[in-house]
Amino acid sequence: MWKFALLVLQNLGRNPLRTTLTVLGTMVLVAVVTLVWSILDFLDKQTAEKSNNLKAIITERWRAPSQMPYSYVRGLSEAGATEPDDFRPLDSMTWAFYGGTIDPKNRTRENSVFAFCMEPEKLLTMMDELDEMQGEPKAEFAATVEKLKQNRRGIIVGRELLANLNKRVGERMVLYGFNYKDINLEVEIVGLFPDSRYNKSSAINIEYLLSALDSYKREHNGTPHPLAANPVNIVWLRVPDMAGYQRASDQILNSPSFSNPAVKIETLASGVGAFLESFRDIIFGMRFLLAPAIIATLALVISNAIGISVRERQMEFAVMKVLGFRPNQLLGLVLVESLLVGTLAGFASAALTYFITNDYFGGINIQIAFFSKFYIPQAALWWGPLMGVGTALAGSFLPAWTARSVKVSDVFAKVA
Amino acid sequence: MPADSALVRVSGIHKFFTRGSERVDVLQNLSLEVPAAQFLGLMGPSGSGKTTLLNLIAGLDSPSEGEIWVGDQEISRMSEAQLARWRTRSVGFVFQFYHLMSVLSAYRNVELPLLLLPLSAAERKRQVLTALEIVGLADRIHHKPGQLSGGQQQRVGIARAIVTDPTLIVADEPTGDLDAKSAEEILDLLQELRTSLGKTIIMVTHDPRAASRADRVLHLDKGRLVNETRAEV
Repeated sequence: MWKFALLVLQNLGRNPLRTTLTVLGTMVLVAVVTLVWSILDFLDKQTAEKSNNLKAIITERWRAPSQMPYSYVRGLSEAGATEPDDFRPLDSMTWAFYGGTIDPKNRTRENSVFAFCMEPEKLLTMMDELDEMQGEPKAEFAATVEKLKQNRRGIIVGRELLANLNKRVGERMVLYGFNYKDINLEVEIVGLFPDSRYNKSSAINIEYLLSALDSYKREHNGTPHPLAANPVNIVWLRVPDMAGYQRASDQILNSPSFSNPAVKIETLASGVGAFLESFRDIIFGMRFLLAPAIIATLALVISNAIGISVRERQMEFAVMKVLGFRPNQLLGLVLVESLLVGTLAGFASAALTYFITNDYFGGINIQIAFFSKFYIPQAALWWGPLMGVGTALAGSFLPAWTARSVKVSDVFAKVA
Repeated sequence: MPADSALVRVSGIHKFFTRGSERVDVLQNLSLEVPAAQFLGLMGPSGSGKTTLLNLIAGLDSPSEGEIWVGDQEISRMSEAQLARWRTRSVGFVFQFYHLMSVLSAYRNVELPLLLLPLSAAERKRQVLTALEIVGLADRIHHKPGQLSGGQQQRVGIARAIVTDPTLIVADEPTGDLDAKSAEEILDLLQELRTSLGKTIIMVTHDPRAASRADRVLHLDKGRLVNETRAEV
């Protein structure tokens, strides 16, 4: 087997320019498919229903954005349980969205802050990705969360946001609210989110927002802020399984406590899926038109390069047959040449795409629904070679069959 | 089975091709025997069937009718895969235009047929160096075909033909692309292979001077043997 390896390598080296161009073409196309598949893979995971340890989201039924009274929080956090035998969720989390800017006269994307106002300890147990951290990163973030608990005016920010704001950990700043008009929060940066999808986000203790709303009422002769009655946007529940989710759903929807305004409950996957419904055509196009078209193009690129090479080497294949090479050995040699190019270029492309996208660019910055950043998953490291293998096989089979079928007497007759 | 003294026995072979509805007879009822260690020349005008006969004897094609025996094997009944295996061990080919692989060195070109045999790298190396030494190119093993003269390339071709130590060597116009001096050297080498190593050589040629080096020359015309001449001893 190995004795033929050098033969394969020398054949690939026969026309370095063509081989290089084929490798580069393969790498570019594999990189594009990897990027597309990474986005689709992330969205698939977000919309895939889990059978256990799943999250449910509760929002206002009829309005978007959802606005619920804070008085709902306690009851919803217990999934509306009132009796000892009622179902109770494993965990819960409350979100109120706060948007503010550090420069109200010249508000830009860079100087704006989007904050989850929430219970600090839930950052560790309920936030997607963060709730899966283990070991040292978890311990480090737990210390940051502890600071947020100790400092009611604290804020945890994402790394990209910190850089955009041109601030450092420990600095203070005033956020001038734009959804909570006239609610300005003086916050101190107590720490950073781990490098994650929250790089542009921030988290504030919800108690601080509520006390700011109270202060507003005091400062305005008892007139409450327009949003004070309904500051809660989403309540999250963690339930053990689908049966638990169903019981939580029944309890909440049948409870008179959550009827004005009415609420709705859905699994996280279902909620995300519903949100992505407006992106259905784009996602369909990416999945069933763009990616297959690129893969077909990739197979054609390989087919073209190998086809030209085989045509140029008809005489050599004839001579090899004369020397005793069997038809299937010639087929194998051509396929291996192609597979080598496809596999190595596919792996190199996937690895480069993975490291450049994730480590250099910090993810793919594209806004789809409420997802603004996508990372290349580790699985892409085998997508690349697999794509290379698949397209190399598809693209080179016909040329390889041509090499296999070379008729010695015909080739020599042409020479004579 | 061939007679004891004959390495090659061709018995009553026909070879025809069809072009549309037309049948083209290339060889007609042709029989011959080639004793072991004989240098046989095949001559004839273009289209006389000499290269077709050579291809049949070398197992590159099968006759439409008749039998071909080489040693104790009837190659006319072998499948394509069997013929391929048989060629590797039993026949060496020398081509008019050398047909060396341009990307491979002289060493690797000669080694090529050995890749098909169950030999260790050390055994392959020994056989390749021996073959290159026999043809006088032991000092050119790392040269690629483009760095060698026509005569040297044909020597590499001959080294490739003998590297598996076949009993039969077939050569199709081996001097047809060479100048007179190189052609003489190649013919000297072929004669040397017969006399020193006992190889049986069948050579197709148009060149009477090349044919004069053979022990025996068969003349073909329109697919039939028409004349035979023998070298004077």
